[in-house]
Amino acid sequence: MREVQIPMLTAMLITGFAAKSSYLMQTRTADARMGPTATFPLGSRRPAAAALCVIELALGTGLLLTATYDWASPVSLAVRVAVTLLFGTGAGALWVMRARRPETGCGCFGELSITPVGWRVIVRAVLLCLAALALLDAPPLHMPASAGQAWLTLGLIVGEIVVIMALSPEVSQLMLRLSHADPCEVREVSAARTQSALHASAMWRRYRRFLVTTDPADIWREGCWRFLVYPGVLSSRPVEVVFAVHLSGRGAPVRVGVVDTGTSLPRRDPLPLSNAV
Amino acid sequence: MGDSASSDWHVRRSLLRAAVFGQDYEHWMREPAAAPSVAIGMLVDVREDSLVLDTDRGTEFFELSPTTETWLGARTSPTALRFGDPVIIRHRTPHTDLPERRVAERIWARIGRVAGTIVDAYGSEFLVDAHGRDRQYIVVAPAASRQIQVRFPRLAPGYLIDVIGTRHRDHLLAVTPATAQPPYHAGHSPAPPMVNGHVAMPVSGSAVWHEPDGEPSGLLGLSYPAIDPEETGTQPVGGTGCVRLPYLSLGSSVRIRNECSGRAAMLPITSEGVTARQFCDRCVKCGTSPKGRVADLTVAAFVELGGSLEDGCFNATLTTRTG
Repeated sequence: MREVQIPMLTAMLITGFAAKSSYLMQTRTADARMGPTATFPLGSRRPAAAALCVIELALGTGLLLTATYDWASPVSLAVRVAVTLLFGTGAGALWVMRARRPETGCGCFGELSITPVGWRVIVRAVLLCLAALALLDAPPLHMPASAGQAWLTLGLIVGEIVVIMALSPEVSQLMLRLSHADPCEVREVSAARTQSALHASAMWRRYRRFLVTTDPADIWREGCWRFLVYPGVLSSRPVEVVFAVHLSGRGAPVRVGVVDTGTSLPRRDPLPLSNAV
Repeated sequence: MGDSASSDWHVRRSLLRAAVFGQDYEHWMREPAAAPSVAIGMLVDVREDSLVLDTDRGTEFFELSPTTETWLGARTSPTALRFGDPVIIRHRTPHTDLPERRVAERIWARIGRVAGTIVDAYGSEFLVDAHGRDRQYIVVAPAASRQIQVRFPRLAPGYLIDVIGTRHRDHLLAVTPATAQPPYHAGHSPAPPMVNGHVAMPVSGSAVWHEPDGEPSGLLGLSYPAIDPEETGTQPVGGTGCVRLPYLSLGSSVRIRNECSGRAAMLPITSEGVTARQFCDRCVKCGTSPKGRVADLTVAAFVELGGSLEDGCFNATLTTRTG
């Protein structure tokens, strides 16, 4: 049964790599959410965090590729020893961090690991180290010989997942994030996405014939609304047609207004029914 | 006092917005950006009872009264001022039927402020990256060294600094700390809490001021900490800042109220408040501000709203047009 640790450890390593690298790419920095690298000098944090990502990816991939190898083969043994060392070092680093930087998260899963290092995270790292240790002389991974063995393997994996989840403060962070959506006024929405939403709207189809160009002359944002201004001609007079696109997502409301160019007075909407509010 | 180009820009956007929504154009234009009680210029002459200033409106005269307060690194007498000193005056008109008679209430001479990240340190001299503005050179005045060291215990590269002092040819002579130093490195401010529902308006926090750098000296406006990243084309330096505020654009208008003086004004956003995002501090004038920096005002706007430049901040409420 020791060989079932291979998919478990592989999953932990690859998930850790994905979460860390995603956070690194998003923030383009390495801060206290990157765990033990927060104890490094400022200039070394990002390279250290990037190196940790690469090591996790390499070991996770290596563990998977050597899953069917005999444990005594040099490649397989090297990978398994390295995995054991990684989790062992991690457990030690977390123990030190808890004493020296008690406010810092473990950084194991990027920005999800912001909870200060506690005993649960340390126990998790120790258990993973023990699991890696058990792999050192484990037989190659193989298909279960019988249905009974398959159920036993499945039960073992489920049991391990439950234990890992119970020891992971990241689960509550993940649940919190999945149940939370930033309100539209603080959500980042690209101008290209706003223009796509505008071009798909009935307002655009209705007013497009008045526009001189489909390139906006001005774009700005005010909270949940992004405004796009286009030069146009209406009744032989130059006008500015301004669209307000709500940033709440697909099918969001689009409103429109028309102003005579060079004057300070809004012009009466030529298509009043189109601008129902 | 005001900058016509920027004013036209935000007025035009307000007009275009009103063409769509209609309902609140007048409300938002009721308090246009103007600083009728602020004068900024070079000192031409000073006597016991009057002061002459060369401003962008020409030569202006101001009466001095026994209650006039003058600052030149510390409280001083108006006669300590010298020809050519850059001066900021907040004045009042004691008789409405004599608008040309103006009495100076507060005078600040040579005042400057540097806020940013320490790039290099040589004893009591520091080079500071002022986040988007030119690098600034600070010399800490010997008499203020202890006071600044207490509020800024880590005067080392990578840490934040915010000091007020007097401007000299190539440096700022720091005489007072503008805040207390945040314990974190620049760019590593703690993330603000997640927002449930919409951002509540108005937002109460701290309003600070900055010196013009490439902006007209009398510009009325503010640096806003949450400029739409699409406008700047980059991810915000230092993250989203300590206060979650609605994303706005340059030229958008916000309403700022000084909770200490009761004065309020509509102001256009004239630049990105990168420095304001970095500081998760509180203003402690007339109580402690509930949140960190919500606005980094230009000098003219700060003084017009009743702020004292040497204090560095006032408690403010910010209202935006969102929803």
